[in-house]
Amino acid sequence: MKRHAMPEMKEGGVNVTPLIDVVMCLIIFFLLATKIGVNDGGDKSIEIPVSQFGEELKDKGNMLTLNVRERSDAGDPLVTGLVEGAQGKPIEIQIRQGSHRPLLEILKRLRKDNDKFGVIIRGEKEMSYQALVPVLTACMEANVRNVDLNTAKPK
Amino acid sequence: MKLKGAKSVHYDSGPNMTPLVDVVMVILIFLMLAGSFAGAEHYLVSNLPFRKNGGGDATPSAVPDDPPLTINVDNNATHDGYIARVDQYAATDEEQLAADLASLRDKMAAIGQTPDKVQVVISPGHGVKYKYVTEVFEAAQSVNFKKIGFSTGH
Repeated sequence: MKRHAMPEMKEGGVNVTPLIDVVMCLIIFFLLATKIGVNDGGDKSIEIPVSQFGEELKDKGNMLTLNVRERSDAGDPLVTGLVEGAQGKPIEIQIRQGSHRPLLEILKRLRKDNDKFGVIIRGEKEMSYQALVPVLTACMEANVRNVDLNTAKPK
Repeated sequence: MKLKGAKSVHYDSGPNMTPLVDVVMVILIFLMLAGSFAGAEHYLVSNLPFRKNGGGDATPSAVPDDPPLTINVDNNATHDGYIARVDQYAATDEEQLAADLASLRDKMAAIGQTPDKVQVVISPGHGVKYKYVTEVFEAAQSVNFKKIGFSTGH
């Protein structure tokens, strides 16, 4: 009996199908797990305190993030935020400027037509509470009651 | 002489995947570089205290009549840390403070007060480090006090 030989396999290069499978999985993972182009004005160089408890904020659109650092001369703290005039990068907001109080004015303006308006404080963990007092006072005077402290999850 | 032409071999191995792999790799690298992972941070949600007097313009009806539970926080004189005083208790760490606040909460419940409505006011000294203020805040939150705010210090 004549035996038929198996057809000869032609190798057409490297099989890329498993590579595409893995890469597609990675893309889906990154799409779901990362945030792109979301800038809430938080200064990532600030070392924030760690806390076990904490909540995720659902409505960050109504929140203004204020980065608070203590100055070495023990004057008013350095406060930065993504406010009017900031071009994608947090700018300094003065606490006092002569007879003006720019931070208070900004908070009052934002709070005026928005009952849900709140402030996120991103403060340096080693700074003293004294640095935070002018910011909290401005929030209180602008009737902003929703003040949240940004903390890091323990590693 | 008869020349034998080269035998043309045609491999039909499906669609050409090379451009797809190129594009997909570019997308992957972009996502890896441009994306930032969420979930490393969270927020301690606070409510600044209402005041009957002062700069805040809270309506008087919204101001709770119950006296607030004030936690005074000062620097620890013996080491880098803090001492938190509330009622007759004094705590130097978060665990101890949480236990003290839990007993106060139980006492309030026993005399008919509603602990959930009690406004906890954290009053740190100006020199207390912010990280210790957040620890005190966390201790209050861990025993289910809902209304936690800050005073401008003492």
